[in-house]
Amino acid sequence: MPIQFEHVSHTYSTGTPYEYKALYDINLEIEEGKITAIIGMTGSGKSTLVQHLNALLLPEKGTIRILDRTITAGEKPKNLKSLRGDVGLVFQFPEYQLFEETVIKDVAFGPKNFGASEEEAVKKAKHALSMVGLPAETYEKSPLELSGGQKRRAAIAGILAMDPKILVLDEPTAGLDPLGTVSMMSLFSKLNREMGKTVLIVTHDMEQVFKYCDNVVVVENGKIRTHTSVQEFFADSSLCREMNILPPALIRMKDLLKEAGFRIDDNIQDLDRLAYAVARQVKKHG
Amino acid sequence: MGNITLGRYIPLDSPIHKMDPRAKIVGMLLVLIAIFFPAGWYGYAILFAAVAFCIILAKLSFTFIWKAMRPMLFMLVFLLVINTLFLKTGTPLFTIGSFTMYSDAVFQTLYIAVRLLLMVMITTCLTATTKPLDMTLGIEDLLKPFAKIGVPAHEIAMLISIALRFIPDLIDETQRIIKAQESRGVDLKEGKITERIMAILSLIVPLFVSAFQRAEDLANAMEARGYAPGEKRTRYKVLKMQARDYVLLLICAALLGGMIALSIIL
Repeated sequence: MPIQFEHVSHTYSTGTPYEYKALYDINLEIEEGKITAIIGMTGSGKSTLVQHLNALLLPEKGTIRILDRTITAGEKPKNLKSLRGDVGLVFQFPEYQLFEETVIKDVAFGPKNFGASEEEAVKKAKHALSMVGLPAETYEKSPLELSGGQKRRAAIAGILAMDPKILVLDEPTAGLDPLGTVSMMSLFSKLNREMGKTVLIVTHDMEQVFKYCDNVVVVENGKIRTHTSVQEFFADSSLCREMNILPPALIRMKDLLKEAGFRIDDNIQDLDRLAYAVARQVKKHG
Repeated sequence: MGNITLGRYIPLDSPIHKMDPRAKIVGMLLVLIAIFFPAGWYGYAILFAAVAFCIILAKLSFTFIWKAMRPMLFMLVFLLVINTLFLKTGTPLFTIGSFTMYSDAVFQTLYIAVRLLLMVMITTCLTATTKPLDMTLGIEDLLKPFAKIGVPAHEIAMLISIALRFIPDLIDETQRIIKAQESRGVDLKEGKITERIMAILSLIVPLFVSAFQRAEDLANAMEARGYAPGEKRTRYKVLKMQARDYVLLLICAALLGGMIALSIIL
């Protein structure tokens, strides 16, 4: 069953001078078992949108259907805790949530909150830590002793240990080095492929959207501007440019080559094959 | 957090807003002292009229004052209960069983209530009309004469302005951490005692870590721009007393003098 938003609106600080309308009448259907990118400018409402998925924020108007639960505006949601266990939300810069004495205790904190026994929680924590690629010698260290990238991994493991069905990540790679970014994104892609998890990623990086995601949702001024497959989204780079989004390097390269008179197959999806195709045409025509 | 009114600056355009912060601070102190003289109900009527006039001049609404006053109500109710139990002077008002209520209990409580109300009104008059930054500038200037006896006037002012500047940031940070931990199944409202202690720990530790981090970042940024405490610094904004500021000070001094005179006569 897909995640459905029906006429969802949200306003912050209603009735005060600081009132701010963040979402306007959102209608959205997100496929299960896919990786969906949520993109848009700062302040467009992306974060507000994803915080509705585990009922941290409740809709002011409208209905959200997620994992056979229904959240309706004005009603107190039932089984809030089980929803939060099933929808794992990783905030921006999640390393600020680390608080336990040791890494393993911190990662086991989530599963324990959802009713796992001590041993079970530790088992889940170890599994999650190995998934994010933290070496075993870090488990007994204080989270504060880790490097920035390791802290980020530990914090993400804290959510993965809850074994959520839906994984929501708000800019998970912001501030990571290029290598860390690649390994992080491959992990999410693996979780999706091998364990069938639904993944939602808020990001600004079009290369990531292009390489790892199936669908794209563009949020603009609290409304959904576009919702389509990644293939279709980047097929026409004029649409991207119209929304002030710089298309990925491969797409830009293809556009330039086409302009220069090369015949480029639309199915080419990586730089190596593109280079090969160009080399062949150059050789043929001298 | 949006409902805290005590001490918040309200950006409006009024004669009180334009006044020199130093005049406002000294004026407020004079009136605060005046409140503590036992000048009787006439005295309080005069003070109340003066402060109310000031609030109207500042274009503040009385509902705003009421909101600032509301947290004090609990204290007043508590005081009334204590006074009724222990104050047995004055004329008996009524008797329920073996218990008699005396007039002094009511009057004493009312007296304190009026003083509290006046204090809230006058401090609100200052904080709501003075930007936090102007306030610290004013405090710094007022502390300057004490620098000779070793009071670090500038440092104190800098401390206050940094503290004020970080309040909204820390509130945001707290809300962010609450949300992050709630996503990990923390329940702040229910649960056993041990679970709730854990829940609170999961907020406090990250909050402290980030506060220390921010402090270090700010210290580095200030040093990188050449800030050194104790050095002589010039100011972008120079405060200047004008006629209206002297008038304010005169009125406040007159109020204080009047209250002292009234309390001697009575």
